[in-house]
Formats: sequence, C-alpha cells, structure tokens
Amino acid sequence: MEERVTMDNWVIAMMLGVSIFLGATGLIAFMWAVKNGQFDDEEKFLNAAKYDGEDELNDALKQEQKREELKKKYKPE
Amino acid sequence: MSHKKIPCSHCHLAFDSSLMIKDREHYFCCSGCQGVFHLLKDEGFGSFYEKSKNIELAPPSHIYEESSNFNSPSFYDKFVETTDDGFSKVSLIIEGIHCSACVWLNEKALRKMDGVIEAEINFTNNKATIVWADDVVKLSKIIDMIRSIGYNAFAYDSSAQESHANRERKSYYLKMAVAIFASMNIMWIAVAQYAGYFSGITQDVKTILNIAEGVLATPVLFYSGWVFFRGAYFGLKNRVINMDLLVATGAALTYIYSLYITILGRGEAYFDSVSMIITFVLIGKFLEVLSKKNAADTLDMITKSIPSEVKVVENDNIVTCKLSDVHVGAIVAIFSGEKVLLDGEIIKGNGSFDESNLTGESEPVYKSVGMSVISGTTSIDADIHFRATKDFKHSTLSNIVTLLESAINKKPKIQQMANRLSEYFSSIILALSFITFFVWWIWPNSFEISFMVAVSVIIIACPCALALATPVATLVGLSLGASRGILFKEAAGLESMAKIDTLVLDKTGTITVGKPEVIKENIYGEFDIWLLYSLVKSSNHPVAKGIANYIKEQNEKIDEIIFDEYMQIPAKGIRAKYKDIECLGGNLKLLQEEGLETEFLTQDTTFYFVVDNQVVAMYELRDKIKGFAAELMENMRHSGIEVVLLSGDHEKITKKVADEVGIKNFFFEQTPQDKAQYIEKLHKDGRQVVMVGDGVNDILALATADIAISMGSGSDIAVEVGDVVLLDDSLKSLNDAFKISRTTFGLIKQNLFISLVYNAFTIPLAMSGYVIPLFAAISMSLSSLLVVGNSMRIRYKWKRE
Repeated sequence: MEERVTMDNWVIAMMLGVSIFLGATGLIAFMWAVKNGQFDDEEKFLNAAKYDGEDELNDALKQEQKREELKKKYKPE
Repeated sequence: MSHKKIPCSHCHLAFDSSLMIKDREHYFCCSGCQGVFHLLKDEGFGSFYEKSKNIELAPPSHIYEESSNFNSPSFYDKFVETTDDGFSKVSLIIEGIHCSACVWLNEKALRKMDGVIEAEINFTNNKATIVWADDVVKLSKIIDMIRSIGYNAFAYDSSAQESHANRERKSYYLKMAVAIFASMNIMWIAVAQYAGYFSGITQDVKTILNIAEGVLATPVLFYSGWVFFRGAYFGLKNRVINMDLLVATGAALTYIYSLYITILGRGEAYFDSVSMIITFVLIGKFLEVLSKKNAADTLDMITKSIPSEVKVVENDNIVTCKLSDVHVGAIVAIFSGEKVLLDGEIIKGNGSFDESNLTGESEPVYKSVGMSVISGTTSIDADIHFRATKDFKHSTLSNIVTLLESAINKKPKIQQMANRLSEYFSSIILALSFITFFVWWIWPNSFEISFMVAVSVIIIACPCALALATPVATLVGLSLGASRGILFKEAAGLESMAKIDTLVLDKTGTITVGKPEVIKENIYGEFDIWLLYSLVKSSNHPVAKGIANYIKEQNEKIDEIIFDEYMQIPAKGIRAKYKDIECLGGNLKLLQEEGLETEFLTQDTTFYFVVDNQVVAMYELRDKIKGFAAELMENMRHSGIEVVLLSGDHEKITKKVADEVGIKNFFFEQTPQDKAQYIEKLHKDGRQVVMVGDGVNDILALATADIAISMGSGSDIAVEVGDVVLLDDSLKSLNDAFKISRTTFGLIKQNLFISLVYNAFTIPLAMSGYVIPLFAAISMSLSSLLVVGNSMRIRYKWKRE
C-alpha cells in the first residue's frame, strides 16, 4: 500500500514536470522569436512558409559559415 | 498596321510591341529592364519571376548619385555602426519593393555577395539591415548590387528606427506572455488544490502541487512583476507610496509566505494569487502603455523633417553643404519645390513662396531680388539664389524648432484622478494591513495566522479593480472615438479633455474649409468651358484649384486640352494660347495691367477669365465656414467652455468669420509665437486649454496647450504633435470628441467608485479574519469583472444611440 502511494506521487510529479517543461519550451521559443524580430513584419512572416525549401536552408547554412570564417579573420585592434 | 500591347519580361508594364526591344522570345520596355533580366538569369535568380507572379515593377532608372558617396567618412560617421564582432552595420530604405518576391530577390542577391553577413529586409516598411565585413566588401559595392537588380537604396538613421514606444511595448509583450502562460498553468494546478481542499488531499500531493505552482509563479513575480518593484522603488525614492508598492509588497509577501508553507509542509500556499495579481495589474498597465504617446518620438519626427544639407553656390558651382556649416554671407540656391532652410535676401531670381508654415494662409507670396526669404517657407515655382543673413542656429526655423522642443518637454500634465487616488489608497491599505497583523499577534495568535490575515487584507484590497478602472474606461472611450474618426493618441488625453474650460480655435482649415470655393459665377460672354477648365487645371494655385473643382462638379465628363503656349504670371495669373485663341485668367491686378476694366467690386477673392481681350466670366471665391459651427458654439456655451479664435489673417476677414460663427473673443495677425504666448497666458490665469489647428503655423500653440487637436488633413507635424486627430476634419467630430471625453471621465469615476465601495465592504471582513486568502483571490477577480462589466454597459449604451 505504502509503495502505491509513492508511485502515485511520482507519477503526478513527473507529469507536472514534463508538461511544464514542454510548455516552457514553447514559451521560450516564442519569446526568442519575438526578441529576434520574427513577428515584426507580418507580411514576410506569412510568406516565409511559401519560400521555404532546400535552397533556403542551404543559403542559411552558407551564410552562417561565411560569418564564422570572417569572424576568425577579424582581430580586434 | 495595328500593334498589340506586350508586357515587358522584367517589369510587366505593357507597351506597344513596335516600341519594345526584342531579345529572342522576350520583350523589354527599356535596356534597363533587359539588363536586370539577364543579370537575374545569369546569377540563378530566375525563379524571381515565378515568385513575383507577373506583378508590375518600376523599370530600373540610371540616374543615381555616385555610389562612392557611401564610402565617405562622413557617411560612415553618421549611418554606419560597428557590431560587437567588428562587422559594419547599416540601415537602408530600399526603394522599388512591390511584392514579397522583391524582398526575396534583394536578400538573395545581397547574401550571395562575398563579405555580406546579414541582409534582412522588412516588407511592410521597406527597411533593410545589412551587416558586412568592411575589409572584404565596401558599402558602395553593396549599393551598386541593389541598383543593378533594379532597386535603389537610401541610408537612414537607425537610432530612430525603432521608436521608443515600440520598444517599451515589445518588452511588455514578453512580460505578459510569461505572466499569462504561468497563470494559466497555475490555474489548472489550482483546480486540483481547491478540489483537494474540499474533498481531502494527502500532504505529499499537496506539496508536489505547491512546488509546481511555486516554479511557475517565480518567473511571474521576478520577471513579469519586475516593473512593479522598479515602480515601487522609484516611488519610495520620491517619497510617494504608489500602487506599484502595494502590488509589489502584496505579491512578494504572499510569495514568501507560500514558500514558507511549502517547505513547512502544512497549511495552504497561495502562489495562484501571486501570479493572478501580477498578471491582472500588468494587463492594466499594458493597456496604458498601448495608448501612450512618447514625446521623444514626436521630437524625432520634427527633426527628421528638416533636411541636413543645402545647396551652396561656390565659384559659380553648386555644391551640397552641411546645413550647420553654412556661414552668414554664403550664397544658397533654392529650386522650385524646395524648402528654404536659412533666412536671407534674394540676389537672383524671383517667384512665389508658400509661407503657410508661418502664417497659415495658403495664398502664395511673390518675391523678387532684394526681398527677404524666411526659413521654413517653401518655394512653389521660384529658382533663386539668396545670401544667408543668419546661420542655421539663429534662423527662424531653428528658433521655432527650439521653442517647439521646449514646449513638448514642458507640456503640462493634468494629474490623473486614479493615480492620485491610488496614492492615498495604497498608504491606507498598507497601514491597515500592518495594524491587522499586530492586533492579531498581540491578541494572542500564532505568527502564522496573524500573517495570513494581514496578507489577506492586502490581497482583497489588491488594486486590480482600481488598476483596471481607468484603462478599461479609457479603452472604451478610445474605441468610441475610433469608430467616429476621432483618434485619441493618448488615453490620458480623454480624462484631461473632460476638465477643459477654454477652447482655442485656428481659423483657416479649422473653422473654415481652408480652400477657396466658388460662391458665385458671373458669365458675361460665351466661351468654351473646357478652355477655362484646362487653364485652371494646369495651375497649383488654390484659387485655380477651387475653380477647377467647381467646373468639374458642374460638368462631370469634361476633359482638358494641352495649350500650345502657356505661361504663369507670378502673383497674377496664367496666360495661354490654344490654336489662335488667347486665354488669360487671373486676378484684378492682371486685368488692370491688360488695360481691361470691370466695375464689379467685392470683398471676396475674384478670378477673371479673358478670351481674346474680352472678359467673359468672373468667379467669386470664398473660404467657406465648415458646417456644424453654430451648433458647436451653442454646445460649448452650454458646457461653460470659453471659445477664442486666433488667426494669422488680417482683421477684416477674421472679424467676419468670428461674427458669422458667433465668437466674441478673436485675435488677428497672429504669428506662431503669438499663438503659443496667448495660450501660455491662459495657463497663467489657471485655464486649461484645448487648441485646435491644422497647419505648421499652429504647432507651437498645439504643443503648448493641454490638449492639442489637429485636423487629419493638416500638415504631418501638426498631426504628429496633436493629442487628438479628427480624421474627417469636421467640427461635428470636435463636438463628439468633447462628448466622448466627458462620458469616459464619468465612466472612470463610476469604476473607481465601484472598486472603492467593494473594498469598503470586504476590507473589514478581511481584517476580522473572516476571509482566507483563497476567497480573497476569488473576490478580487469578481471586483475586476464588475469594473469591466460596467465599462461594457456604457459601450453598448453608446452603440445603441
């Protein structure tokens, strides 16, 4: 009997923990997007889905690599 | 041979096929389009045309200022900033963006360049942020790229990019997102708590639920609720006990108590109250922020409207020079359509100037060599050189801007009723709660119980209803106004406006329409009406426009012809020739000059039309008074508001308008400074003033007044400075604005009354310990609902009317 009670508690705690964690992840993603300016331009935000594809992903990656490369070269005076 | 119209393969504007450049299966309207088309194909951006779906673009232009200007140190100084990583960053406005495909193309092309690290373009406002490595690629190359694909770019100062108000709003969005997320989650956990409270629950489960609630309430209190701690701190620093302090102490005490309960493992924790209080009051605060006007943004707008460069004549060459570098004695060139930025004396050329910025009158002023030009005016058709008699710092324009800035910064704020009330309220509640605690403790009760009762006093008195009373009421007022074309820019304006006792009106454009309209037509001989129509249509003069509108109203299908000869005679009229018909249109002066006579005399503006030396028609025009003026005066008299008329016009016309409308107090020949001084004088007499105006000449007075109302069709700056904007320019809207502000103020009073009465009943109950924090939390929501419900009631009442 004693064992079942602790089991129940464990289940409640785990479910609460998991659901709050999942919710918080969504919230943090949303806040990141707001700070990032992704909702600033509603037109572009809606069009983003239309212009999404392999090319765009590759572009984003290349852009990232270019930034890293140039960053390495830069030496603060 | 007939040709059919073919759309250009790049810009999709359709032209006759014989005029197009043929290039294999494609047609182009110009070599520019052809160039762009091939460039896009070669670079692999061909899918642009699928994305743009044949939308019409502007053909690329080839006349650009030299792009190397963008590499100059002075440009870098002003517009380019350095990021933390050592990259350069600039904000540009891209010209020529028509569709999302344009955005895509620009971003794509820029990102492909070596050294460009970031290229973000906002479709809604065409603003771009570009980050690049300056040692790899120069900015001029980036600009060249934008131009080569058929767009153009201008730099702008990014410090003004995100307005202060927007930044504040964004931070509130984030805070509210956290608060609402956490509160909603706490609510469903609280359901389990409450169910357990009534039907039994083991302490283990209760502790688990408490911990979960505690985890959720922590960010609400310390992240979302931070504004209250900050507000309370600044309040205490200025020795004011404000509502923020009450909210902060209430929430923090409840939080600490709940933590203690959770660790102790017995009793009830009230994390739900913590997050509910913060969330509710934060929403109220957000509503206030949403409708707040930022003085800094207004000042930005004013300084932005002044160009930073002028054209100066040096050794017979015209060079651009920074405005602040122009010395007294320098020769400045002004071309038609340009703004005069310095005071001076004309040494070459002549033409008319629009001085409405200073006088408010739309009648152009003719000026020639030897006469003085004033900064702030605009050249209509004059190409002149003038010698600067003052540098910019001492110019009339700079003077007005300085006065305006100080007026905006000093703008009187009528203290808001709720703010004043909440000061007293907060102190009383905090004191009551302390007393409750000590009385209970001394009475002999455990620390725990005494503390809980004291906390319940704060929670039940929690200013939720009080905090919501004003924002919700003003929101109702704002929406009532918006649906009638009356924009209240600041919610606080509604309350201030209800306390006004003096109404100051501008004449031109406010009481009158601002444009001359034909009141009488006299025909002396036969003539073709389209001849007159074409003549007046070709001029920008307000009188000509008035006649053109009148003819258009009479003859809907009238067309204009193109004259063989055409000449504007400054300050007099127009002379034109069509085939062998000589036309002449203008004022009495022109008629006398031509040796023609007329015996007709009138006070109104006249326009004569002469065909082949014969006066064939005469039009009388007048700046008509807007409708509803009499009713407005009647209503103002009824509500005990004194009305004053201030006009830049001369006595005769001002008096006539004042008499017609029924205003006893009027002042004529007022300069912008005079108007502002008059309002300051009223302030000294303890008056609270509404100023209504539309022109640049009114902005000083507008900025000085307690409440500034501007006409929607007025100048941009006047609209910017105004606290209230009447979109339809009508006097009926002005009357409605007064009515709405009074209703809203009444509603605020009602709401405050409801929340205070509510507290008067519940606080004694809480002090005597009959209310545990759980019920306090529920009743708190109930009082908020009462306030919101009452506001909705007023809204529906107005809607039915």
